[in-house]
Amino acid sequence: MKITVCIGSSCHLKGSRQVVEQLKELITAHGLEEDVELSGTFCMGKCEQGVSATLDDQQFSLSPENTKEFFEKNIRGVLAAK
Amino acid sequence: MNNLCADIGYRSLNKKGELLCGDSVEVTSQTDNSNSKIIVLADGLGSGVKASILSTLTARIIAKMMAEGLDIEDCVSTIAATLPVCSVRGVAYSTFTIIHLIDNEDAEIIQYDNPHVILLRQGKYVELPTTIMKIDGKEIYKSRVSLQKDDVFIAVSDGAIHAGVGKYLNFGWERDNIIEFSETFCQVGYTAKTLTTILLDKCNELYGNEPGDDTTVCVVKIRKREPMNLVIGPPQDPDDCSKMMSLFFSKEGKHIVCGGTTSMIAADFLRKKLIPLLEFPDPEIPPIARIDGVDLVTEGVITINKVLTYARDYLAENEDYAAWSFHRDGASQIARLLFEEATDINFYVGKAVNPAHQNPDLPINFSIKMRLVDELATCLRQMGKNIKLSYF
Repeated sequence: MKITVCIGSSCHLKGSRQVVEQLKELITAHGLEEDVELSGTFCMGKCEQGVSATLDDQQFSLSPENTKEFFEKNIRGVLAAK
Repeated sequence: MNNLCADIGYRSLNKKGELLCGDSVEVTSQTDNSNSKIIVLADGLGSGVKASILSTLTARIIAKMMAEGLDIEDCVSTIAATLPVCSVRGVAYSTFTIIHLIDNEDAEIIQYDNPHVILLRQGKYVELPTTIMKIDGKEIYKSRVSLQKDDVFIAVSDGAIHAGVGKYLNFGWERDNIIEFSETFCQVGYTAKTLTTILLDKCNELYGNEPGDDTTVCVVKIRKREPMNLVIGPPQDPDDCSKMMSLFFSKEGKHIVCGGTTSMIAADFLRKKLIPLLEFPDPEIPPIARIDGVDLVTEGVITINKVLTYARDYLAENEDYAAWSFHRDGASQIARLLFEEATDINFYVGKAVNPAHQNPDLPINFSIKMRLVDELATCLRQMGKNIKLSYF
């Protein structure tokens, strides 16, 4: 799985740093470094929905508040089902 | 014409309790030749308002007259005739030091009653060949040397050599002590402004943070020209992307790309991958990225805004130096490249409006970007850099 988080100006102001840091911690805490690749990108052109992120080809709108929920549901949940 | 240029820095400490500084520094270019510069350091009699007026008049008049190509004799007699006479002491008096850089090839140094200018060449003190002329009964010292790369000229007002008198030192921080102190760090590669700050901080320390006199340090460092190029923002017309990029990348010197979309355009143009790094050395500043063939890739407005903050501080107190001089975030890296390394900077500014930034909830928009670039250019000009702005 590959998560790409936008680190452009607009998403930065909306908290992409906190999102990235939470994801980094969560991935390490659950030992998922092998399964999940975390990367950054500049503007995805969806600034109004920021923090923009993609999980493989799926588009998500994250915030520092919903990151944990997103991780549990869309990453751990999907990995567990595999 | 050679490839040398002058990096000029100066700052003053006010005498304890004074709101105005009685020393003045004036820097101008010769009217008909921007490669010739005139730097005047004047120290007015007394302190406070009176001294400030005397020194400002002296520095401005000399700088202006020399910029128009007039003789030193005329300047001195004009000053003697113009300065208001001090009611307490019955004289009109301000000392001065003039460093006149001619075509970046020679320096002519004219001094009246200030501590003599110190020349450090290859990090070692060199005695200036000096002749004495008499103008209106005043003894004026004149020297001329041809410039070499890494020459450092240090001009100080007498507040510097009196630093610490009766407090930490018996006779003050004499000229020989200043030479000895400066020799230890002048070759490390600091800019004129930073050298100035180091010397002035030392004076302040010797005064126990309570300067007994107005103290000014002015440093002129002769260095090689270093071109730098910075592109920010996509062009207004998307068809101009490759034109803008080919002009930008064809320029000599280092290349800095600012802005998310801009860096994607640059990566496309170079047919290289754009790799954003997910590190936040400074939580306020978005991460930098890498593109093969580009020296630095950063985010746009937030980063440039921080650079502007650093630039304003650099021109004033220079307190943030401790932060940007070594930090790894994008803004600090740009600050180092622009303030320290570059002498000639070409800005390529794209005028495209980023629809995403027009959201009223966000503290960034198009006009802010344009204003940031303009203000940064103004600050950099004040640092003595040659700036060229091209809009697309």
